[in-house]
Amino acid sequence: MKKFIVAFLFISGSITFVLAQTKDECYNCHSELGGQPAELFKNDVHFQNGLSCADCHGGNNKTDDMDAGMSKEAGFKGVPKGNDISEVCAKCHTSSEKMKSFGAKIPTNQFELLKTSVHGKLSINGKDRIVQCITCHGAHGIVKVTDPRSPVYPLNIPRTCSNCHSNSVFMRNYNPGLPIDQYEKYRTSVHGILNGKGDPKPAQCVSCHGSHGILETSNLNSSVYAVNIPKTCSNCHSNKEYMKKYNIPTDQYEKYSKSVHGIALLQKNDTGAPACNSCHGNHAATPPGISSISKVCGTCHALNAELFSSSPHKEVFDKNKYPECETCHSNHLIITATDKLLGVSKDAVCSRCHTPEKNPEGYKVAKKMKSLIDSLENAQKYANSLIDNAEQKGMEVEDEKFELRDAHQALLEAKTAVHSFNEKKFDDIVVGKGLAVTSKVAKEAQASIDDYYFRRKGLAVALTITILLALGLYMFIKRLEKKQNKE
Amino acid sequence: MKKLLQNFYKWIDDRLQVKGLVDYMGKKYVPVHRHTIWYYFGGVSLFFFIIQVITGILLLFYYKGSSDLAFESVKFIMSKVQFGWLVRSIHGWAANLFILSIFIHMFSVYFEKAYRYPRELTWLTGVLMFFMALGFGFSGYLLPWNELSFFATRVGSDIFGVIPIIGEPLKEFIRGGSDVTGATLSRLFGFHVALFPGIFTILLGLHLILIQRQGISEPLHYKNEKEIKNKKKMPFFPNFMLRDLLLWLIVLNLLAILAVYFPAELGHKADPFSSAPAGIKPEWYFLFMFQSLKYLPPHIFIVDGEVVGILLFGIAGLLWLLVPFWDRKSPKGERNRLINYLGIFAVMFIIILTILGWLS
Amino acid sequence: MKNSNTDESSSKTSNRRDFLKYFLTTGLIGFAASIFYPLFSYLKPPRQNEVEVSSVMAGKIDDFVPDSGKIIKFGSKPVILIRLKDKSFRAFSATCTHLACTVQFKSDQGLIWCACHNGKYDLNGRNISGPPPRPLTEYNVFPKGKEIYISKNS
Repeated sequence: MKKFIVAFLFISGSITFVLAQTKDECYNCHSELGGQPAELFKNDVHFQNGLSCADCHGGNNKTDDMDAGMSKEAGFKGVPKGNDISEVCAKCHTSSEKMKSFGAKIPTNQFELLKTSVHGKLSINGKDRIVQCITCHGAHGIVKVTDPRSPVYPLNIPRTCSNCHSNSVFMRNYNPGLPIDQYEKYRTSVHGILNGKGDPKPAQCVSCHGSHGILETSNLNSSVYAVNIPKTCSNCHSNKEYMKKYNIPTDQYEKYSKSVHGIALLQKNDTGAPACNSCHGNHAATPPGISSISKVCGTCHALNAELFSSSPHKEVFDKNKYPECETCHSNHLIITATDKLLGVSKDAVCSRCHTPEKNPEGYKVAKKMKSLIDSLENAQKYANSLIDNAEQKGMEVEDEKFELRDAHQALLEAKTAVHSFNEKKFDDIVVGKGLAVTSKVAKEAQASIDDYYFRRKGLAVALTITILLALGLYMFIKRLEKKQNKE
Repeated sequence: MKKLLQNFYKWIDDRLQVKGLVDYMGKKYVPVHRHTIWYYFGGVSLFFFIIQVITGILLLFYYKGSSDLAFESVKFIMSKVQFGWLVRSIHGWAANLFILSIFIHMFSVYFEKAYRYPRELTWLTGVLMFFMALGFGFSGYLLPWNELSFFATRVGSDIFGVIPIIGEPLKEFIRGGSDVTGATLSRLFGFHVALFPGIFTILLGLHLILIQRQGISEPLHYKNEKEIKNKKKMPFFPNFMLRDLLLWLIVLNLLAILAVYFPAELGHKADPFSSAPAGIKPEWYFLFMFQSLKYLPPHIFIVDGEVVGILLFGIAGLLWLLVPFWDRKSPKGERNRLINYLGIFAVMFIIILTILGWLS
Repeated sequence: MKNSNTDESSSKTSNRRDFLKYFLTTGLIGFAASIFYPLFSYLKPPRQNEVEVSSVMAGKIDDFVPDSGKIIKFGSKPVILIRLKDKSFRAFSATCTHLACTVQFKSDQGLIWCACHNGKYDLNGRNISGPPPRPLTEYNVFPKGKEIYISKNS
């Protein structure tokens, strides 16, 4: 009896062993020999779907004879190097039939995208691409992207990318000017903090840069080219469902695209205009703090920010937690600041805090500034209308037009000077410069118009002389003919 | 003063023997009758031509004929040169009045049949001068190089291209190329200030010499008039000339009033790449031709409507030029009703189509 | 009797004749004046001689302190003339390419600055900071005797 059991066990065991063995002789041998590849391959999604070492390395996986199995005649390729690696992966992964046959619903354009991406460029050895598939996905222990063990699972991506991108020695070979602090910065950002805490939903490298088809930021087709950035951010940030648990608004893109900045960037393709990252940062993406908003806006609007920071408003706003520039100008839906914003009328922002009873000092200043700017606008319009009038009449007014430039300049400077909230400074610019010029020009233009009418008077004089002469000549003729008729 | 003039006259006569000529001219007379007033239009036309030459030469002092400076130089004349606006405005108005006056002069001569023997050559030189006047108008119009003139020149020269066979080469010749460019400006400038004045002066000289030699044409009924007292006349020197001068003074006044109250416009500089302003039309003296071409159907039998129109105008112009040679009745002193009706038709046609063109 | 009559009438007509001649002569002179006055004014060269200003005399060389800038009127446009520390001159259009304000020279920063929106240009006219989208057009500067001239760059 015992002999039977042992024999049965032995036979079944060896049959199982043999059966198990005949599935993949390469794997059998190499897992016996030990070593990483076979260890990792155990968990590999390819192995679990019935693929063997020979499917990538070539050779005969049915024989346990090493020389026969790893012979050139059997098609053994050895360890593929360089571009050969990706060719191996692409052999199956670009074929949709192949993917369907394994029940995989993954795309098949990865290789195409990689080839034309920035990673697909030639490496410093001059022969191979910089990046191959295995660089990010691993070689033998490849698991699904949705598997938390994958190096390209959202929580792991930052570290995977930073393996190269935070390595200054490596990056120096390709672009010494490219920063290598993205990963460090990312970890300080809202996205990075949440990602570090185990939330796979916030953005990581791939969310903005893409995975296979990563292009340089200067490339017009890149998802992080200046003009494309707002759309890229809005992919998540405008998605109400996706953002539900984070409790922040999802209308930023909508508002931004209607703003001055949005129109400039998205419609006029002016890359000088800010995108989301200009104010929020890209890798260290975080909304600016209350007391630093004017500094952020001030990176472009330097004069306004400087004036604001030294004005009485800065202290008051920060103390009351008013978001500095945003208080009057909004953050995403920033529209052209017109003169309507200034003053003490219903539409003006000043009247939100300044009334004759509440903060009356500011009320007085706001009122004064508005009336000064209005009078300069009107004076400029009046001078312009006189100039047009004179020009229509054919009078020469180029000099006057030249001088009126100063009024235009005074108006622009005044609109900036508002941010000092200082009456005297405003007065100097608007009255001292602007109104002085407009009144001078208006006087000169009026003189031109008067000259036009003076011409008519000159005509009257010349006409009188000529008519008198004509009369005299007529009388002379009449007299001459009378004399002739007498003869 | 009188002594001085007499001595001067004697000095000239001593060397050139002008006494005969002066005596001859002294005998020249002008018939005085119902239609004498039309005689003045010849002199008025001459006056306008003289004004054009003088103001034209003055403008030449400041005008620059290249496409990058033409507009600016006209602006300069209008605004920076003293009385520049006056000179330019007079030049513009006198151009229009010159052509109007020539029309009147030409038609009055036509209806009076003054072209008949022996004055056929006077008529020929006159009609040729009329065509030249239109050429002056066309070439001068482009010189300010503003929007209006650029597109008017383009449209106008396009019509030249319609003439069969010679049309396209003629258009290219006028334009100095296939399109209206700075080359066109140079070319038309050369026509306007050199070629045309030269030819016109020769024609004008012939015209005036012929008139002096042959005297002023008498109306037809003088031939049959037996009574001398019904054939009234006045001496050319000094009566007619002084009256002419008086009329010239009044006309000069009129020019000054027009120049001050309706100064010449300048508008915008020509931009060859912009589209033509809506409703572009040529100057009034071309309007009747322009408008009548518009009314022609696109095709008449197998020929282009426009070609037929151009050819008809060409034939009409030729007939007009040669009227002394096919009007058989007038030299005989007979009334020629056909000529009258044709003339009235021409005048009505021109007036009505000009009005239609203006209103459209 | 007859003689006295004709004498009287002839003296009357001769008076009228003289008056008319006098009147005509004055009229003719007045007329000639009203023709010749505009004519001579027209022929007198206007203040700005040429249609387009191609060069402008900016001032005496010694009047320009090194490391300073001045706005000069070139026709109807402003030009900024800068004398550098090494005594050489540069000139650029002074119309800022952003919103047409007039720029100025900042000696402390060694650049051209626009007060309206903080636009900055280097001393080659290139827009280096702020909103200006294009550089400033350069003008030629050359000395003639003791004076400095600015002309258009062809």
